[in-house]
Amino acid sequence: MSTQDDKAKEVSADGAAGPIILFFILGLAASLVFGWIIFPKLLYSQKKQPIDFNHVLHVEAVEEGCESCHFFREDGSFSGIPKLEQCVDCHEEPQGEDPNEIKFVEDYVANGREVPWLVYARQPDCVFFSHAAHVKKGEMDCGTCHGHIGESEHSRVYEENRITGYSRDIWGKNISGLKKHTWERMKMDDCAECHTTKEIKTDVETLPWPINWLPRPYEKQTGNQARVKTVKEACFVCHK
Amino acid sequence: MKEEGKHKKAKKYGMVINLDECTGCGACMVACMAENNVPFKEDESNKLDSIAWMRVYKLTNGKPYPEAEICYLPRPCMHCEGEHGHAPCVSVCPATATDYNHETGIVSQIYTRCFGCRYCMVACPYHARYFNWWDPVWPEESTKYLSPNVSPRMRGVVEKCSFCFHRYQLAMDKAYLEGRTVLEEDEYQTSCAQACPAGAITFGDLNNPEHKVHQLAKPDNKHGGRPGNPNVFRLLERLGTNPKVYYMSSREWVRQAGDNYINNEDLAKNYRH
Amino acid sequence: MKIGRRSFLSFVIGGAAGTAITPLPWKLMDDSSIWSQNWPWTPVPPDGEYSQSNSVCTLCPGGCGITVRKVDDRVVKIEGMKGHPVNDGGLCLMGLSGLQLLYGPTRVKTPLKRVGKRGEGKWEKISWDEAISEVAKKLADIRSNGGSHTVGSIVDSENGTVPNLFKRFLTTYGSPNFMTMPSIQDSYAMTLQVMQGVSAQVGFDAENADFILSFGSGIIDGWGSPVRMFKANSAWKANGKKVVQIEPRLSNTAAKSDKWIPINPGTEAALALGLANIIISNSLDSKKISQSTGFDSFKKLVQNEYGTDKVSKITGINSATIVSLAKNFARASKPLAICGKGQGSIPGSLNEFMAVHALNALVGNINKEGGVWAVTDTEYINWPKPEMDSIAENGMQKERIDGAGSEYPHTKSLLNRLAEVINSGDGSLEALFVSGANPLYSMPGSKAIKNAFDNIPFIVSFSSYMDETASNADLILPNHVYLERYEDVTTPAGLSKPIVGLTRPVVKPQFNTKHVGDVVMLIAKALGGGMADAFSWESYEACLKETLGVKWDILVEKGFEFNGDKCVLEGDFNFYPDAMKSLSDFSPVSIEGSAISYPLLLIPYDTIRLANGYIGDPPFAIKTVEDTVLKGKNSCVEINPKTGKELGLTEGRYASLLTPRGKAKVKVHLYEGIMPGIVALPRGLGHTAYDNYLAGKGCNFNELIGSTEDPVSGFDEAWGIRARLTKV
Repeated sequence: MSTQDDKAKEVSADGAAGPIILFFILGLAASLVFGWIIFPKLLYSQKKQPIDFNHVLHVEAVEEGCESCHFFREDGSFSGIPKLEQCVDCHEEPQGEDPNEIKFVEDYVANGREVPWLVYARQPDCVFFSHAAHVKKGEMDCGTCHGHIGESEHSRVYEENRITGYSRDIWGKNISGLKKHTWERMKMDDCAECHTTKEIKTDVETLPWPINWLPRPYEKQTGNQARVKTVKEACFVCHK
Repeated sequence: MKEEGKHKKAKKYGMVINLDECTGCGACMVACMAENNVPFKEDESNKLDSIAWMRVYKLTNGKPYPEAEICYLPRPCMHCEGEHGHAPCVSVCPATATDYNHETGIVSQIYTRCFGCRYCMVACPYHARYFNWWDPVWPEESTKYLSPNVSPRMRGVVEKCSFCFHRYQLAMDKAYLEGRTVLEEDEYQTSCAQACPAGAITFGDLNNPEHKVHQLAKPDNKHGGRPGNPNVFRLLERLGTNPKVYYMSSREWVRQAGDNYINNEDLAKNYRH
Repeated sequence: MKIGRRSFLSFVIGGAAGTAITPLPWKLMDDSSIWSQNWPWTPVPPDGEYSQSNSVCTLCPGGCGITVRKVDDRVVKIEGMKGHPVNDGGLCLMGLSGLQLLYGPTRVKTPLKRVGKRGEGKWEKISWDEAISEVAKKLADIRSNGGSHTVGSIVDSENGTVPNLFKRFLTTYGSPNFMTMPSIQDSYAMTLQVMQGVSAQVGFDAENADFILSFGSGIIDGWGSPVRMFKANSAWKANGKKVVQIEPRLSNTAAKSDKWIPINPGTEAALALGLANIIISNSLDSKKISQSTGFDSFKKLVQNEYGTDKVSKITGINSATIVSLAKNFARASKPLAICGKGQGSIPGSLNEFMAVHALNALVGNINKEGGVWAVTDTEYINWPKPEMDSIAENGMQKERIDGAGSEYPHTKSLLNRLAEVINSGDGSLEALFVSGANPLYSMPGSKAIKNAFDNIPFIVSFSSYMDETASNADLILPNHVYLERYEDVTTPAGLSKPIVGLTRPVVKPQFNTKHVGDVVMLIAKALGGGMADAFSWESYEACLKETLGVKWDILVEKGFEFNGDKCVLEGDFNFYPDAMKSLSDFSPVSIEGSAISYPLLLIPYDTIRLANGYIGDPPFAIKTVEDTVLKGKNSCVEINPKTGKELGLTEGRYASLLTPRGKAKVKVHLYEGIMPGIVALPRGLGHTAYDNYLAGKGCNFNELIGSTEDPVSGFDEAWGIRARLTKV
């Protein structure tokens, strides 16, 4: 009993609050540093693209901009990252002296091996994303979701979430999940942002409802599938 | 009712299965499994845990030899509309993993959303929903034939027929590319309808008078989609689930097998086709 | 300064507060929920460019056109080819599950040489060069010892380039023992031979017939070209055409027919002749036909021996039904009678075939729209006659081991006799090649076949799959599966228009396999001399291209071509060939076993959901099999509830099924659709090989039955066997 009393006296004698606050602040600071700086570094592994790709150079060389390589196939599907077959059209032999190109020709073209590109914007398997619906029907720009990737001179590092295996681009570079531009995050909420706010022309068929001033619980949309989050009935549109 | 016809009508995809033509060959079942990455195990003879989005049932008329008759009945998901989209399974799902799409009339199932409570399986009167008791295993090279259009399921989720919704999506992609928003009848067909060697399954938009399904079933939308064709019936019609799969048979006993009746019930009075 | 408890707690609280305002907990929560939804071991099928290619399915003799859907270089789906004359878009469940055979676990991935005992499953991987030189060495030894005629081959059919390469190989090597898997095509071909004097395949213009009388043929259970028959069946329904099915069990075909008439099994010929009698007596027969050879004798036969009452007694069908059936059949404008039980894997009794063919002739539908056609065999294979050395000449002079062409002069192959000949020591084989066939499983009397195979010192299998025959072979030289190879497909079974199709590779070979045609050529080249000269083609593909000539380009573009018009082979119809004389005193098709020790009759039944030939059921197909057919590891037998009551057997009970040939543990399924006194067992179960999805399930009907020789043709005519069913 006596020892405890002694300690209590000691603490009060030292001016009790000081160290406690200090340790509180220390704890706070340490966790902030860990949470904001160390944690993201631990969470993501860094991977280099097999070939450093220069978009600027290529955009200058081709005639139809992005669509020269990233195009729609006749069946409505989107080609995404080009296959070796398309690259070979120009790169049968090295065109310049860039070591990346030489590596590409020697390692991949010569062996007929596809380049294992790491796809920054790859969505998980449960997502069905229609490029045709957004680009053709919705007349959106590639940049709205993909940013100014066409202006990059080097491939940036691909960061992979160690837990989910997703690309960091899905959550966004900012670990807090905040973004400044539309292309900085690709989670479902980000899709919903457009789909809830954007004024999209839609044909709505209302079902018979007896009282006019009461909100109608069921509205049938007929024209398109744009309003994802407003009506709880469109899961299949984006999920498979 | 005034509002009807004012706007463009929503689509209501459905099926008419001709039981006179169905031979019970099982091609629809396999066409479905192959299309939708349905898993399989070594022993599939316990039909309670054997996942078959489309399952062919064998009905008998219960009479002794040689008056016995059999009829096969393929059962996909009925994509019930209920009243205004209140499908039995949709209203019980606590996870919003299944919903009713008013635009196509298709009841979805989102596997990553499902947490496996199986309320929907209890609610479904057609046993159209199946639970993944185990993680699916594809032997050796077999993952090579998996279709990228349908995501493989994991242990602990419920799955069911989607009317090959991904085919609708892909057909729409093509349509958008060509500047269209409307699909032709043959642009969107389910895998089972396409494969049926007997041509017994017809698939299309029940709301579109030009589609064959509409002409065969003659659905009466004012009365919960009841068939206007006297040879056409739906399963458990009287539950009011308003299913979108219609069956056609020239045999009286087969049509009666589609619902439950009290002995000596006056059918003409209680049940109108 | 001391760090006390309070300071520590303060640090922790500070840490917790700080953590709460970092993204860490929220991000981790999100990530872990994602992780739990997408287990890393759940496969993610890679997306890519979609494409389609056309080919022809060869899983059965049906010859359906297929369209495969590909994502990059993976095949993800097989569908029926739209516009194909056989199936026009439809496809059966075997065809639809073909990818499980391509990528499945049952493939033989590289040449294998047996190291353990036969059937033990111990193999050594060897290279193709080693494999081919091993076969060549063995064959050279046998040949130099004067035993060239003791080498035989078993292939699936005699049509097309691959079987003909085997035939040419054996011919130049010096052996007549080219054997094919039996089927009703053999019986039909012989019927056409003896009654019309033509050498042809049978074809049915089924789509245009308006009254179909089927003597147990599984029209929608896989008979003929299955998808084509499904389509014809739907067309009959849509147009109000009539189908009458005669068999003791309510099969799918019977269930879907307009009238099912159960008959005492084995008495079908009597019914056909009884019908003929009524037709002739009522002058309902086609007038032209009565001028035919032997008509008067035939008339006398049916009038004297096949009176309606007598036939009624034999068949168990009441007289009124027989009379009305005869009249309806004869009065129809395009009646068609068909036979060959189930899927047609057993040739059957020739008397039955002749009686049914006579019935067709009687109503004048031979080579007529909606009738029976004699279709000429494919004629595009016109290879130069090979040079034969003296050994080859001598070898070809020898009699065949199975007695075809000698004991039974009109036959080409009698594989059903092989086991008995070898087991009784009347003949022997030194080496056997098996390609596209699985005789150890699919031949009736499979136990006897196994014994016979044990006496053949060198067995080479060309199977793509680890089937029963392959797993009992000494060497497996795996063929590409049909999705990886070129091959010609000749007129599908029962088609009345000759057609040739081309199977094309839709995907690169997945494993270290080789086309069987190439392997045969390589062995011949290794043997050298005249044999090498006879196979001077560079490769199988070159051989096929040269053989098809101008057809090649059309086939590559379209996938199929009509091989000439309907080949009308009239011949003079003979109503009463010598072969028919035995019918003057009718006895039902003989059946093995005594009625005292085996009171019941066991019959097999076929369902389209169970493959029972070379191909075993892939996992998807076996998954569709009902639990009243296969439950757990047991086959279910169907018996009438009356029979069940007599035997004290109830639904779902285990029972022991005993026949003179074998024994099996089965489950009982009471079924009102089967004649009392009969037990029905599905064919296609009871595999011991392939993969875990198929092996060890149910019992093999062929182990419970033996082969019974038809006295006229020598073909296997066994439709069933006597049996006993007891409680266990």
